[in-house]
Amino acid sequence: MTEPKVVAGVGVPPPPEILLDVRNLKTHFHVMDGTVPAVDGISFSLPRGETLGIVGESGSGKSVTALTIMRLLDIPPAEIVEGEIWFDGKEILSMPIDRMRRIRGNDMAMIFQEPLTSLNPVFTVGDQIAEQVETHRKVRRKEAWDRAIQSLKLVGIPSPERRVKQYPHEMSGGMRQRVMIAMALSCEPKLLIADEPTTALDVTIQAQILELLKEIQDRTDSALLLITHDLGVVAEMVENVVVMYAGQIVEEGSVDQVLMTPRAPYTMGLLASIPNVHKRGDRLSVIKGVVPSPFNLPPACRFEPRCPYAWDLCRREPPELVAAGGRGQRARCLLHTPAGESRRRDLLEAVETLVDVPAQQEAAAEAAGA
Amino acid sequence: MSKYVIRRVVQAIPVLFGITIVVYLILLLAPGGPTARFANNPRVTSEDREAFKKAWGLDQPPLIQYCRWMGLCNPDKGGNVLGVLPPPDAFIGNTGWPQFLPTPISGGTNGVLHGDFGVSIETGEDVGARIGRAALPTFILVGLAFIIWVFIALVIGVNAALRRYSIFDQAATVFAYVGYAMPTFWLGIMLIFTFGGPGLNILPVSGMTNTRASPPFGSDAYWTYFGDHTINALLDIGRHLILPVFTLVVVNIAGDSRFIRASMLEALGQDYVRTAKAKGLPGRVVTFKHALRNALLPVVTNIGLEIPFLFTGAIVTETIFSWPGIGSLTIGATRAFDYPTLMGVLLITSFLVVLANLLADIVYAFVDPRIKY
Amino acid sequence: MSQHLQSALTEPLVEEVERRAEEAGVDYEVTLESLNQWQLAWRKFKKHRLAIIGLGILGVLITVAIVGPFIMPFEFNSIPKPDKIVPAGRPPSLVHPFGETGGLQRDVLLLVVNGARTSLFVGFSSMAIGVIIGTIVGSVAGFVGGFVDNILMRVVDVMLSLPLLFVILVASRFFGNGNVFLIVVIFGLLSWMGISRLVRSLFLSIREQEFVEAAKAVGVTDRRIIFRHILPNAFSPIVVSASLLIASNIVTEAFVSFLGFGINPIYPTWGNVLSNSLTFLLQGNWWWPFFPGLMIILTVLAVNFVGDGLRDALDPRSRA
Repeated sequence: MTEPKVVAGVGVPPPPEILLDVRNLKTHFHVMDGTVPAVDGISFSLPRGETLGIVGESGSGKSVTALTIMRLLDIPPAEIVEGEIWFDGKEILSMPIDRMRRIRGNDMAMIFQEPLTSLNPVFTVGDQIAEQVETHRKVRRKEAWDRAIQSLKLVGIPSPERRVKQYPHEMSGGMRQRVMIAMALSCEPKLLIADEPTTALDVTIQAQILELLKEIQDRTDSALLLITHDLGVVAEMVENVVVMYAGQIVEEGSVDQVLMTPRAPYTMGLLASIPNVHKRGDRLSVIKGVVPSPFNLPPACRFEPRCPYAWDLCRREPPELVAAGGRGQRARCLLHTPAGESRRRDLLEAVETLVDVPAQQEAAAEAAGA
Repeated sequence: MSKYVIRRVVQAIPVLFGITIVVYLILLLAPGGPTARFANNPRVTSEDREAFKKAWGLDQPPLIQYCRWMGLCNPDKGGNVLGVLPPPDAFIGNTGWPQFLPTPISGGTNGVLHGDFGVSIETGEDVGARIGRAALPTFILVGLAFIIWVFIALVIGVNAALRRYSIFDQAATVFAYVGYAMPTFWLGIMLIFTFGGPGLNILPVSGMTNTRASPPFGSDAYWTYFGDHTINALLDIGRHLILPVFTLVVVNIAGDSRFIRASMLEALGQDYVRTAKAKGLPGRVVTFKHALRNALLPVVTNIGLEIPFLFTGAIVTETIFSWPGIGSLTIGATRAFDYPTLMGVLLITSFLVVLANLLADIVYAFVDPRIKY
Repeated sequence: MSQHLQSALTEPLVEEVERRAEEAGVDYEVTLESLNQWQLAWRKFKKHRLAIIGLGILGVLITVAIVGPFIMPFEFNSIPKPDKIVPAGRPPSLVHPFGETGGLQRDVLLLVVNGARTSLFVGFSSMAIGVIIGTIVGSVAGFVGGFVDNILMRVVDVMLSLPLLFVILVASRFFGNGNVFLIVVIFGLLSWMGISRLVRSLFLSIREQEFVEAAKAVGVTDRRIIFRHILPNAFSPIVVSASLLIASNIVTEAFVSFLGFGINPIYPTWGNVLSNSLTFLLQGNWWWPFFPGLMIILTVLAVNFVGDGLRDALDPRSRA
């Protein structure tokens, strides 16, 4: 079902220190009403042992990116139109599905958003972890089962010997997400993909799970790809950030750069819409308008209809991801091109008042310190 | 667990009781009553009719008739004496316990409550024995068909779900629609015409055994013959089974395969199937362990609810192919206005439905770890 | 480019979008359509190809059933003079496209057309009785609740435990007297249980929803709540199960008549035609039972297709 479309012209592998290298990836969905370019030409790389966050609203293509890397999308309706994904020195999109299967759960593991529905209700958690170990490690049942108990211990589940024999419905939400993490870690993956790992959980549990993820990431030197809509989570968890909007990357850089000095209008708007306790009584700033219909994307810049700084060129000239602000930070906005240079200067004042940069920095700092 | 079972059994009792009342009411309200069998017989005078009614106790008030039928009264204490109301102590059995309790406790042997369904008006035989005799052919016919159709439906349903929108899936859909719309008796008639008619004439189209080669099925002579010529007898029954089993299978695959397909599709779309794939499990483990195991949960219930069908569902097929089972018995009894037999059949089949519901719930509780008691 | 936006778009936003589109020189027309529930449902229904085919077949069947007997060249109760040369019936020909029966040598097409009348009448009107009883019982049980609900639902349990095919047979034989109207009533009386359970469960779930509580809070009467707020919401699932009831009642009627317990055999219902055909079947008169059976299959298929289409069209969660 997930047999890949052969990707033509596989390029050269990235240097060995790069664990994951996504190059110009385009994943489209063919549905009844047309084609949805869910992921439309994104590139990023993740060195071994490091952390990267992908941030965006729902529908921005961040989850589809994760599922494409795992090769978990059903083809059709999905189609990988273009691009390469290099993982651990190998191109995985052109790989036979059976080889990919041996990577999944072994070298590359994923944690999903809903721990309740993501665990099979009719098998014990021990069975579900052990079968993964059995598949990849060719060990016997008994050893796999011991391994499951160890994994549960690793994620801080008390009395794991008893818990392995329980069914998912007998556990709390936080406990189930710990099980999901234990399962993902059971084969010591090189890459851990966490897709909104805390969204379905209570706020108090969220902090615990994030703490656990961070701790484990430090301890096991696996790389972490964290997908979230929550800038607070990003601030706390990762080194580098990619911001996605309507299937494209609109900004990338280190977490400090992106949260403190955002260069893309979309990121600015996103940061400004975080509630700020120090500005109680003020109206919450929101990005006006709605995410464009994927069947009817604006012709050039996809954020243009909602952008407070847009001018006529923004409807004609599709912006590229260009260097903005130095030290590797890049943004997809014409303001950072020569064409927008004068405009950017003129707007600087207006930007300060409009987006309220100090307040937004405060918000970011607070999110980072939360 | 046992608490749950006991609770379910206790809940079933009023339903069972209600069934006896409804069955009794249906026949009580029927115009003419059992004497309707003589309606077109000019030689039966109205005096004859009265005598018939008196002999069968049909002249008694409905409540007394119902009590006698059910076996609420003790005949040894004047409970079944016609023409008089039963004395209060007639409701007490010979052991001192109320008469309606099961035989080992109350000592009662009369009436439905003690397994006595009365005597057939048509043949004068014991109704329980008649039903028991007809049950065997029905179980052979429908049991065999049931196993075949559930198996085929599983294969079709699961494969259609795995290859959704493929040619196979579309063919299965068309087959299901047509199979569902096709009246059983019409399919039977067409089969009889094709295989037993003037054209081919290669398969027997009527009955369960070749009556020219062997004594009638169910008689003592038949069992002697069966003992002497086991292989021939089985082959003979097998040949007679082909068309009716085929009919039942074709008509019943439709619904079940659609149900299994839907259930499997539902399971395949679940997050835990994606997790199983993300864990790198081989495709067949994902499909047959993770998805199928969950898809079968509702199927178990659904098939459990079809069990009573083993008893009633073949009525059409049995009629077409003159199969000597419960269906033919019912049709015959309906034609003959044989009230005791009809009441017995209705009652036993209804009880089976209740029992099957109960079983389906209990089995479901076993296979789904989420159900708590 | 035209985009249909059904909700969530307010006037100023539409103007804004169009103004910008004009500025950009793009033909970008926004039509704000407020479709009511029925228009929406019809639009979804039209997309269901099989449902449209089903509706077409049903339409033709009903027209033929109503008009057919008037324009047919013969009447079903005038018996043609049997042809002495071939008393065993004749296969389909140009004059008699469905063939002629054995014995009385009647035109099978004529029988089938007249049978359509009875069969469709039985199917639809017994469905109506079943739906009415089921809706009333379910509404009462779901709205009153408590003891009444308990009793009614136990009655439903009992009725559903009876082997309905047996009961229908026995009831048709004992009460029916071959009378079409009595048969319709018997079928109706034995086919309301599913609907009543459905309506009851809808009542229970809808009763708890906020809009009903809101209605109660402002002092709307019970009757108004039932008829204006709850029943309209229960409409779609009732329609869907009603369509299935039509199909099953048509088949059951054919079966009961086939066994000779249903409608008086002098009337050509599909079941009666089939039943009469059996005597001549082994002489090769396949066309005699074949065509009435085919009509049953066609009708049931059509009704099921329409039912499927209705299910999709009336489900507010499915997209247009």
